[in-house]
Amino acid sequence: MLSGYDLALDYRTGGSVAHAVDNVNLAVDQGSFVGLIGPSGSGKSSLMYLLSGLKRPTRGSVTFEGRDYHGIPAGGLMRLRRQRFGFVFQQHFLINYLSALENVMVGAVRRNHEVAAYGQELLRRVGLGNKLEKRPYQLSIGERQRVAVARALVHHPAVVFADEPTASLDQATGREVINLLADYRARGEGSLVVVTHDPAMLTGADRVLQMRDGKLSAA
Amino acid sequence: MGNPLSLWHFYFRNKRKVLPVIGILALAILGVVVTDSLLASARETAYATYGSYQKLILIAPRATRDQDLANPLQDSLAQLREVQLQVDVLDGPGGLSSYYAAVTAISGRVQAQLPAMRRLQTDAANARYYAARLRGDLVPLGDLIVRVQRLQSEEKAFEQLVQQLAQNPNDPRPLLAYLQQHQTLLRTVLPDSAQLGRLQAAVTSASSDAAGLQQSLQAMSRDTANLNSAGRKVADLPIPPSPSATIDQFKVALDHLTASLGSIQSPQPGLEKLVADSAHIPGTAFVKRDAYSNLDINMLAGQAQFDLYGFDQPGMAQLLALYGDRVAVGRLPRADANEIAISEEIARSRQVWIGGKLGNNVDELDRLPDAFTVVGIIRGPTRIGLIPLDYMTEHYLFERRYQGLVVVPQTGHEQAVHDQLQALIGDSAFRLFDWSYIKAKIDSLIANLDVINRFLILLVTIVLALVVGLLNNLFFRQRMNEFGLLAAVGYSRWGLILRVVWESLGVTLASWLIGVGLGVAVLSWFNISFIVPHGLLMNVFDWNVLLLHTLPIPLMVFLFGMGTVGWQLLRLDPISIIERRD
Ligand SMILES: Nc1ncnc2c1ncn2[C@@H]1O[C@H](COP(=O)(O)OP(=O)(O)O)[C@@H](O)[C@H]1O
Ligand SMILES: [Mg+2]
Repeated sequence: MLSGYDLALDYRTGGSVAHAVDNVNLAVDQGSFVGLIGPSGSGKSSLMYLLSGLKRPTRGSVTFEGRDYHGIPAGGLMRLRRQRFGFVFQQHFLINYLSALENVMVGAVRRNHEVAAYGQELLRRVGLGNKLEKRPYQLSIGERQRVAVARALVHHPAVVFADEPTASLDQATGREVINLLADYRARGEGSLVVVTHDPAMLTGADRVLQMRDGKLSAA
Repeated sequence: MGNPLSLWHFYFRNKRKVLPVIGILALAILGVVVTDSLLASARETAYATYGSYQKLILIAPRATRDQDLANPLQDSLAQLREVQLQVDVLDGPGGLSSYYAAVTAISGRVQAQLPAMRRLQTDAANARYYAARLRGDLVPLGDLIVRVQRLQSEEKAFEQLVQQLAQNPNDPRPLLAYLQQHQTLLRTVLPDSAQLGRLQAAVTSASSDAAGLQQSLQAMSRDTANLNSAGRKVADLPIPPSPSATIDQFKVALDHLTASLGSIQSPQPGLEKLVADSAHIPGTAFVKRDAYSNLDINMLAGQAQFDLYGFDQPGMAQLLALYGDRVAVGRLPRADANEIAISEEIARSRQVWIGGKLGNNVDELDRLPDAFTVVGIIRGPTRIGLIPLDYMTEHYLFERRYQGLVVVPQTGHEQAVHDQLQALIGDSAFRLFDWSYIKAKIDSLIANLDVINRFLILLVTIVLALVVGLLNNLFFRQRMNEFGLLAAVGYSRWGLILRVVWESLGVTLASWLIGVGLGVAVLSWFNISFIVPHGLLMNVFDWNVLLLHTLPIPLMVFLFGMGTVGWQLLRLDPISIIERRD
């Protein structure tokens, strides 16, 4: 469903070239949970940006549901991210003047009562049913990240990209967050691509891929 | 569930950041509204103060008061000395007296034969009588002219002293020096300042005696001519030689004095002709002699002279009708009375009402002499002040010089009448005051203030644009995460830019409305509590000021703020924000 062929991404800084992603071939099947691990600087985030259309590859191509990103203009990729993908980052990036529920609704594509009800349902599912109206600064770090997860899921994305979603959390809290994501996959709503440098977080994954110096190998 | 990114959410959740900006902007806009309106008020008040010129043209002598007084007096004094000399000659040996003696010495027999001889005797007696009277007149006249001149130079010295003291108030030396020099002079001259009026009596008496003498002299020369033609038949008649050369000399000197004295008390020469000729210009509604004067009034931008019209009684009514004004309280000034009727606003400005006094005794900057009693309050679209022509010209010797005329053109003929009048005046001692001239004067006065005001607005606008722009940027930087995330998850760049545009637009629009609203409130209060009670004019709802002049501030602030924030948003790289480790 989501695949990369001979993907490469070079960063040019001054005279030197960094091969952040180097000849990567990868397929994410529908409804699968793919884990990406590797040391810091190995190119995990870069690969994720290529797969989600946040960056264009130096070489190679990405296709999603049969469409090559090369044939999609910037606006189209933007809509793709907005409508079909969900994102969780290391930091929560909640908007501090909005409530938990409102922050979730930022991720919604259409805003109506059903969607709002689903947003509340998601927050309830992540254990924040009684904190819908709380502002981010009134929540713990783990709670904030859980709101961020709900925001990434509220529009039923086909693929959820999570880049180090647990890096700022302690082990137990991190586990909860991963479980929430895994639960989404388990309900058959979409695929999951989780980037982490902690293998313990990927116990539920169908496939765990290892990245090293921009190259991919099975773990 | 509404859009969490809606404007209202943003404003209400960020009150503490948004409200101070709105406050600063609103206050600045309030400032612009107030200063601009006050400026407009100064202009409108000035226009209204001279509004009567919109329908008439004033023609007035060119000369200033000092020149008016000094030259005829100086000239008269010189002529007086010459006449005194000639009177002595006329009366001396070979003059009028000896001739008179010779004529009366002719025997009764001859006189009986020639009735013309008797007439000559009578006329010569008259001439002698007038010459003697004139001699008597000339003494106090000369004295008075000298005193008036001294008074004038004293006034100048006093003015100088005042200036010196004003420049250096702590230095008493100029005052002491002045007092020492002028003590005796002041003592002799000051009580005589009332004698300005007596000067007029002396001039009148001297003029009439001079006229009498002239008539007698003319009669005498007629008599001599008759006698000469009759005398040929009476060969042995001992007719004394006529002192015609002496008489002619005297006549010339006397003519000069008469003309010179006349010029003191008569209006500017040529006025009569100008009045008559103006009335014949096509398109003229009416022409009036005008003994104009003025009152000192306080306007927002400083003192100004409010012009009074010195008209006869029908003229006053005509002027009221011209402007659609009416006497709301009291009545018009009576003929030959020191009374005045003025517009309500001027009365308020001078804080007088019926029974109050106006004039030089009350306010030293009034040109209106002495003190005139307010007898009428005029109401209507145009501000005017009326005083009686006859009182002005008959009670004040020197006010006669301030006589001009008012020409009222018919509507549509203003320019034509103006041009014809200008041609009529030519380069004579008169000049023409009309609305375009007065308006240009007012505008040039206001223009300076306008430049300052515009500069201030520009300064405020730039400073505000910088300050608010900076605040905006600071606030925006705090929201970088918000925009970075939104861009990363697929919100369009232009959508985000549009969002901050709306946010900014809302803030500037709100401050604009609040500022203008506050401005209207403050101006209304100021209008009721100050402007109207002082007879000034202000348009509280001047949309030009309220909308157009205040627009640059929100506009500049908005454009500057949007320029910088928009630029940052366009260049925003969501990945760099996501990857940032704080
Ligand atoms: N903007 C950039 N400019 C230059 N080099 C970069 C940039 N972003 C990442 N890199 C380099 O690319 C490589 C991969 O980085 P990244 O994808 O962030 O790895 P990871 O997410 O595994 O830590 C690293 O060597 C990093 O230094
Ligand atoms: Mg990374």
